[in-house]
Amino acid sequence: MMKKRLFKDKVLNGLTFFTSGISVLVLFAIFFFIFQKGYSTLSLDMLSNNYWSVNYNLAIPESSQSVYTYPSIESGESFSSKYGIAFKDDFSPDKKALIVVSYVDPASPFKLLTDLSAGPNQGQVIPIQLGMNIEKIVYTNTLGVDRSAGVIFKQNASELVNILDTQATKLLSTYTQTEGGGIKGSLIATLYLILISLAIAMPLGIFSAIYLTEYAAKNKTSAFIRSSIELLTGVPSIIYGLMGMVVLYPITTLFKVSGPSVLLGGLTLSIILLPTIIRTTEEALKVVPEHFRSASLSLGANYSQTIFKVVLPSAVPGILTGILLSVGRVIGESAALIYTMGTFVNDSPSVTRGGTSLAVQIWSIMSGEQPNFALASAISIIILGIVLFINISIKLLARRFAKTW
Amino acid sequence: MTNITADQKKKMYQRKRVTDDVMRMIFKSSAILASSMIFIIILFILQKGLMPFLPNYKYGQVDIIQFLFGTTWRQDSAIYGLGFIVINTLVSAFGALLISLPFSILTALFIAKIAPKKLAIFMKTIVELLASIPSVVYGVFAAGYIVTMVKNLGSMLNISTAGGSSLMAVIILLAIMIFPTMTSITITAIGAVPSDLEDASLALGATVTQTNFKVVLQSAKSGIFAGVILGLGRAFGEATAVSMIAGNKLYGPTTNLFDITRTLTSTMLAGLKETIGLDYDIRYSVGIVLMATILISNLLVNYVKKHVGSR
Repeated sequence: MMKKRLFKDKVLNGLTFFTSGISVLVLFAIFFFIFQKGYSTLSLDMLSNNYWSVNYNLAIPESSQSVYTYPSIESGESFSSKYGIAFKDDFSPDKKALIVVSYVDPASPFKLLTDLSAGPNQGQVIPIQLGMNIEKIVYTNTLGVDRSAGVIFKQNASELVNILDTQATKLLSTYTQTEGGGIKGSLIATLYLILISLAIAMPLGIFSAIYLTEYAAKNKTSAFIRSSIELLTGVPSIIYGLMGMVVLYPITTLFKVSGPSVLLGGLTLSIILLPTIIRTTEEALKVVPEHFRSASLSLGANYSQTIFKVVLPSAVPGILTGILLSVGRVIGESAALIYTMGTFVNDSPSVTRGGTSLAVQIWSIMSGEQPNFALASAISIIILGIVLFINISIKLLARRFAKTW
Repeated sequence: MTNITADQKKKMYQRKRVTDDVMRMIFKSSAILASSMIFIIILFILQKGLMPFLPNYKYGQVDIIQFLFGTTWRQDSAIYGLGFIVINTLVSAFGALLISLPFSILTALFIAKIAPKKLAIFMKTIVELLASIPSVVYGVFAAGYIVTMVKNLGSMLNISTAGGSSLMAVIILLAIMIFPTMTSITITAIGAVPSDLEDASLALGATVTQTNFKVVLQSAKSGIFAGVILGLGRAFGEATAVSMIAGNKLYGPTTNLFDITRTLTSTMLAGLKETIGLDYDIRYSVGIVLMATILISNLLVNYVKKHVGSR
């Protein structure tokens, strides 16, 4: 009997151990998967690059020098000593072969390329930049015939350099593409979102929390107000997106904004953040000891002075926790923003136009015909990093300011 | 000391009173504005979402019976039958709950009662981290990892899948996503169980494990149900991650675990191009159904809580 009981207990305890182990495994599987897929794409270039690549058709001027040198050539690079430019083989995220510019001599003719395509920019000098892809180069060969070479003829970097140095007598034009695949626009838009949503939600939320803790009588009305605010937490974010389009859109039109915009996204987010900010602020205000208030009041300060000069400063760590939680929510939010900001990745977002946050950019590139896992995972790494940082900060804040009055 | 006349004193006092009153008004109106948001949301979405069913709707009235109970959803030919989507959503959310609930309860019990202190802190951090991962990141994981897993499982059983996008993938994803929510609430509930109850059970000769499973969990019941309600809410409302792997079937309901499915949220996120017209307005109608589904499920869970497991 006793033995059977002990065995049963062991099995039950083992079960709890097992489920806990599974949850650890799941977390590590997620981290491992995201890192494995995104690590190679993650780079500083990615942070500062545009998402969309731009195509150029550029004329190549005569070379001023006949021999260039590149002292620090690396393996995998091919250097054209006749034109002072080095290329490297690479692959795009969708596994297409590329020839990428890896070095340009300051005196190279590639520094003085001019735009060939018709339009206002025709004739403008567009120097080649590192990281640009060379699609093709048109040249005149030793027989005086114009020919083309490049990645669209299935040639690699060393073959291209070989043609440039031995077969070409004169270079005519090149068709190139900027790198693309970056997240600069989304980073900026996310920053805007954080600023706009906090600018609105913070005063509104903190004031509401002050009313609820400092002024409101313990009656049915304040209980009703509190539970109405609490109800906001249960609303799915996609419903907030719908709400933004009908309730807040008219407000943005006052600022002469039409269609989805970063402003509309920020306004929508500010509503989403309200319950979090109110709850954390309320909790912070509640633990401020009553005798702080009594002391301030007895010294002749009035109620609002007491709140702004005594109670709120004591509650700063709690309010900070609310802000950190809010920033995390803004960075992770996607469904509400898909409606209110659109899904078009905008490389130069402004408050009054559409754009994507980091999270929405992930959705946008994952829901296309060809999901770009590498970039999506790389952005996910960034988001996870920020979320991790916020979590640690909240923990430290809580420990640092766990005062006992 | 400067001498302040009685008159000046009175003025100062009055000024203080006025700022006090103004601040009080500002605080109060902020609180009222914040608390009225939920009603504004409900009101506006109801108003916009009910429009297509009214007889004088400008893009042609939609039959509400057909909308609520239909089994085909084709925006391209203006057939809007939401019935099967509601069933699919219920199946995926409750399926996820079925998998996730035992895991959450056992893990919460492990953290709150069984694990040594250091391990408990570690496990709590794991649960918190799982809770803080944004849903798009879960979506990337699901679209890359869970989907491949389901595809391989399907090919092992000779079942062809749409690249792994399936009802099963949705259920697994949602189960992972609601796990941290339910676990952390259950931990709190277990922590709130009074220790006299445990002591009484131990004094009567029950083992620690018996006490944990029979007394502690029983007493934490209402907290566990609160976790279930929150978890279900998350499962119903989850949009971006689910839409990446649902596959958006046009008819249904989906009965095969390996078949693609369509949930309310994935329907709302499909075809975002329109900004006007019936296809746009109907999304609000779907939104109403989503909120109603969540509300009815909450009532159901509350009913179960009252009638099951209490002695």
